[in-house]
Amino acid sequence: MSFRQARYDEPFIKDLQSRTTFETISEDYDDSIVPSSMLNRAPKIPEIAEFDVVRHFTRLSQMNYSVDTGFYPLGSCTMKFNPKYADKIASMPFFSEIHPLRPEWSVQGTLQVMFELQEYLKEISDMDEVSLQPLAGAQGELTGVLIIRKYFELKKELSTRREIVVPDSAHGTNPASAAMGGFNVVEIPSNDKGTVDLDALRYAVTDKTAAFMITNPNTLGIFDPNIVEIAEIVHSKGALLYYDGANLNAILGITSPGLMGFDVVHFNLHKTFATPHGGGGPGAAPVAVNKKLADLLPGPIVRKGNNGYYLDRSNSKLGNIASFYGSFGVLLRAWSYIKRNGSDGLKMNSYRAVLNANYLAKKISKDVRISHPGLKKHEIVASSEESGKRALDIAKYIIDAGLHAPTIYFPLIVKEALMIEPTETVTKKDLDDFAELIHKAVSSTQEELSTHPVNTASGRLDEVKATRELVLKR
Amino acid sequence: MLDYDQSMLDYLGIKDFEGLFSDISPKIRKKKLNLDSHRPEYKLVQEATSLSESNRFDDYSNFLGCGVYDRIIPSSVDSIVSRSEFLTSYTPYQAEISQGMLQSLFEYQSIISDLLGMDASNSSMYDGPTALGEAARMAVRVNDRKTILIPDNIYRNKRNILINYCSGLDIRFKEYSFDMKTGMLDLGDLESKIDEDVSAVIVENPNSYGIVDENVLKVKDHIKDSLLISYVDPISLGALKPPGDYGSDIAVAEGQQLGIHQNYGGPYLGIFTYRKELARKSPGRLIGETTDTTGRRGYVMTLQTREQHIRREKATSNICTNQALMGVAALAYLATVGPSGLRRIALATMHHSVKLKQIVSDNRKIRVNVFSGTSFSDIPVIIESEEERLHRLLRDNKIFGGIKLDRIMENRYDKLKNAFFFSTTEKTEDSDLLKLKHALEAV
Repeated sequence: MSFRQARYDEPFIKDLQSRTTFETISEDYDDSIVPSSMLNRAPKIPEIAEFDVVRHFTRLSQMNYSVDTGFYPLGSCTMKFNPKYADKIASMPFFSEIHPLRPEWSVQGTLQVMFELQEYLKEISDMDEVSLQPLAGAQGELTGVLIIRKYFELKKELSTRREIVVPDSAHGTNPASAAMGGFNVVEIPSNDKGTVDLDALRYAVTDKTAAFMITNPNTLGIFDPNIVEIAEIVHSKGALLYYDGANLNAILGITSPGLMGFDVVHFNLHKTFATPHGGGGPGAAPVAVNKKLADLLPGPIVRKGNNGYYLDRSNSKLGNIASFYGSFGVLLRAWSYIKRNGSDGLKMNSYRAVLNANYLAKKISKDVRISHPGLKKHEIVASSEESGKRALDIAKYIIDAGLHAPTIYFPLIVKEALMIEPTETVTKKDLDDFAELIHKAVSSTQEELSTHPVNTASGRLDEVKATRELVLKR
Repeated sequence: MLDYDQSMLDYLGIKDFEGLFSDISPKIRKKKLNLDSHRPEYKLVQEATSLSESNRFDDYSNFLGCGVYDRIIPSSVDSIVSRSEFLTSYTPYQAEISQGMLQSLFEYQSIISDLLGMDASNSSMYDGPTALGEAARMAVRVNDRKTILIPDNIYRNKRNILINYCSGLDIRFKEYSFDMKTGMLDLGDLESKIDEDVSAVIVENPNSYGIVDENVLKVKDHIKDSLLISYVDPISLGALKPPGDYGSDIAVAEGQQLGIHQNYGGPYLGIFTYRKELARKSPGRLIGETTDTTGRRGYVMTLQTREQHIRREKATSNICTNQALMGVAALAYLATVGPSGLRRIALATMHHSVKLKQIVSDNRKIRVNVFSGTSFSDIPVIIESEEERLHRLLRDNKIFGGIKLDRIMENRYDKLKNAFFFSTTEKTEDSDLLKLKHALEAV
C-alpha cells in the first residue's frame, strides 16, 4: 500500500484571520450588572468565522491516524473497531441532553441502561456488586485502592498494612495509583516464564501487605497459570487481590476475575467494550467487588424497585470519586456493544483476538524474538534487540507505511520492546501485511531506517527540544 | 467461523478456538456467559430509541444548574468531534502520524490558558472536581505543607473528591466561612485561619451560592505565601475577570459548559491551569511545540518524565486516559462563539438571573434576594415548603429545578435551611420565567 498522509501548513488557530460569525444570541446586553471590580470587557479568545473553524479542524483531522483509518495494534490499548451504532445511540438527544440532577422519574430510560450495564458487568466478571462511577482506567485503579484502604481502615489494620505489591511487568498506572492512595509500592520480579514468581510473591506478601495488583493475562500477553495459587498466597496473609481489567478482551466469556479469586476489578470500557478513545479520552472504568467490599463502592448504584429504577445512595463510606454517576455517554456505548454482540458474539470476539495475536506472533517470530514464547492471549511482546534495530526506528518505519505502530519500550522488562495487540477487528491480510512490514524494517540498514517517516504529516520530531524549550502555548 | 479462521488455526497447529485457551485451567473456566444472544443492529437501535424516548420531557422548563448547564451548542462542535479521525484515535504516542490531535490539544492549552489568564494548561483532566483534587495534591507537592483551606459551602461531591484524592497524603482540610449578608467569602475569617502550615486556599468564583464573589480579588493579599487555587465557571469569564488576574497559582474549572452535552453526568472536561514555573510538578499530559528534521513546526507530548508510564509510583499523578476529545470540543466551541459570543452568553445568563429574581419578587411566600451580592446563574430561593411538596408542585407545572441547597452542600447557616436553587442560562426564556412565577404562587 502506498501511503501519504495529508500535510497542510495549517496555521495556528490564533493566526486564522477572519471574524466571528456566531449570532445565536443577537441581543447586546449591557454590562452594568457586572460588579465593576470584577468586570472583564474582552475575554481573550480568538475571532474566527464558523466556516473557518470547521475547515481548520477538518484539515487537522486529516493529519490524524485513527482506528477508522487502519490497523492500530497498540499493545494494552485494545484499539478495536468502534461500532457506529454506538455513536448513533449515544447522540440520541433524550440520552445526551439530560441534566444529571433531573429527578429519577424523568430519567427511567437512562437508569435502565445503567442498571442493565451493572448486571452485564457482574455476569461477565463473576463479581457481586459494581459502581459505574470511575471515569477512566487509572481512576478505576485509584477507586479500587481507596476501597482497599477503607476496608483495612474499618478493620483497624491500616496502620500496619502499608504496602501494595505489583509485578515488574505491571502497567505504570498500578504503582502510581497505589502511591496516590498512600501505599508504599513493593515491586516483584517476574520469573523466566514471564509470570509471577511464586517464591518472590510469598516473600513479598506479608501482614504488612494490603493488596497485590495484577492483570491476567499480563502485559506480556501471558495468562498466569498459577492464578489460583496466587490468590491463595495473597488471601492467606489477609491481603486483597486487585484485577487490572485492561486486558479483559482476551478472556471475556472464557474465565473471569471472580472465578480466579479477585476481590476488586476495574473494567476499561474504552478497550474491551469498544468505546472510542477520542485521541486520549474519554474512557470509563466501572469497578466491581465481591460481597465483603460491596458497601465500600463509591457513588450511587442503580437499583430496580417497585416504582421503577432509582439511585441507591446508601453506600456512603467512600463517598464519591467523581461528581455524578460516571461517563454516561461512554457507558451507553458499552451497553450498546454488549447488547449487540450478546454472549455468543462477545466470546467469539475474544476467540478471534487471541487467534490473531498468536498468528501474528508466529508470523513475525522469524524476524524479531518473541518474548517468552508459548501460547499468548490478546497481545504479544517482541524484542528487536537481536536484529540490532531500535524499536523506535521500526515504529517510525511502520507509520510511514500507513499503519499505526505497536506500543514501544513497554513493558519495561523487555529491551527494545514492541508490544502488539491486533484485536479481533482485523483481517488475516492486515496481519500478513504487518508481518511483512516488520520483516522489511529489520532487513533495512540502520541508515535507511532512520530516514523515516517521510509520508506522514510531519517528519521525525525533536522531543528533546520540546522538553528543553518547553513551549506549552502560543 | 470466518473462512480464514481455520487456516490461521491450522498455521498454528491448533485444532479449534478452544485450543487457544489450553493454558487456562478447567477449574476456573466459565461454564456459560449468561447474557442475551446477539441482536441485529436495527433491533438494538429500536430498543435504544424507545428507552431514550422514555426520558422525553422536552415540554418542561429547565432551571437545573449547579455546575452543569444546558447551554447552546453550535452544530459545528458536534460535527468536529464526530470526525472519526479524532473520535477513534488513541493518545498520540506516535507524534508524526497524530499531528492533528496534537496541534488541536496544543491550541486547547493556548486558548484555555488565555481564557483563564494563566501561563499554562495541561491537555485535559476528567472533570472539574477531580481537577480540583489534583490541584490540592499539586499544591502539597510544591510547598510540602499540610493544610488546605476550603470554602465551607463547597459542594459535597467536590469535598468528597478532595478528601478521596488526598487520602494518601497526610493533610488536613479546614473551612472558612461566608458573609451571610453579601454571600461572599469572609475575608477576616479566611485570614484568621492562615498560618505557615497552609499549603493552599481554594476559592470559587462564582461561589457555591452562585454569587459573583468580589472578595476573591483580595484573597491573595491575605494568605501570605500560601498558594491560591481558584475554581471558576469558564462561561462566566466572558464577563468576569479571569483567575490569573487575581493572582491564582493554580486555576481549575469544569469545562462541560464549553460545548459538551450534559449526558447525565459525563463525559465532561477538567480544565487545569497554573503558573508556568510549576509545570514540572503538574499532573496530566502536556503537549509541547518543537520542530521536525526539516525544521517544520510540530507537536509532541512533553515532560513525560512526570507521568505514570515512566515514573510509576513517583509520578505526579496516576492519570493516563484523559478527556482529549472533550478538550477539542471546548476549543471548537470557544473558537466558534468568539469573544463577543462568549461575552453575550455570560451577560445573557446574568440578565436572566436578574429577571428571574424580579419576576418572582412580589411573591410574599418566598424570598429570592437572599444575598446582596450579584448572582451569576445559580439562585438560591428561600421557600418555606417541604422538598417533596415543592417538587410535586414543580412537576405539576412541568418545571425541572429547585435543587435543595443541603442536598448538594453541608449547610452551616440557619438562613439557608429552606433554600432551593433555580439556575438560568442564555437559553432561559420569558415564558419559562412566567411558568416558574405561576408555579411558585401555589407554594
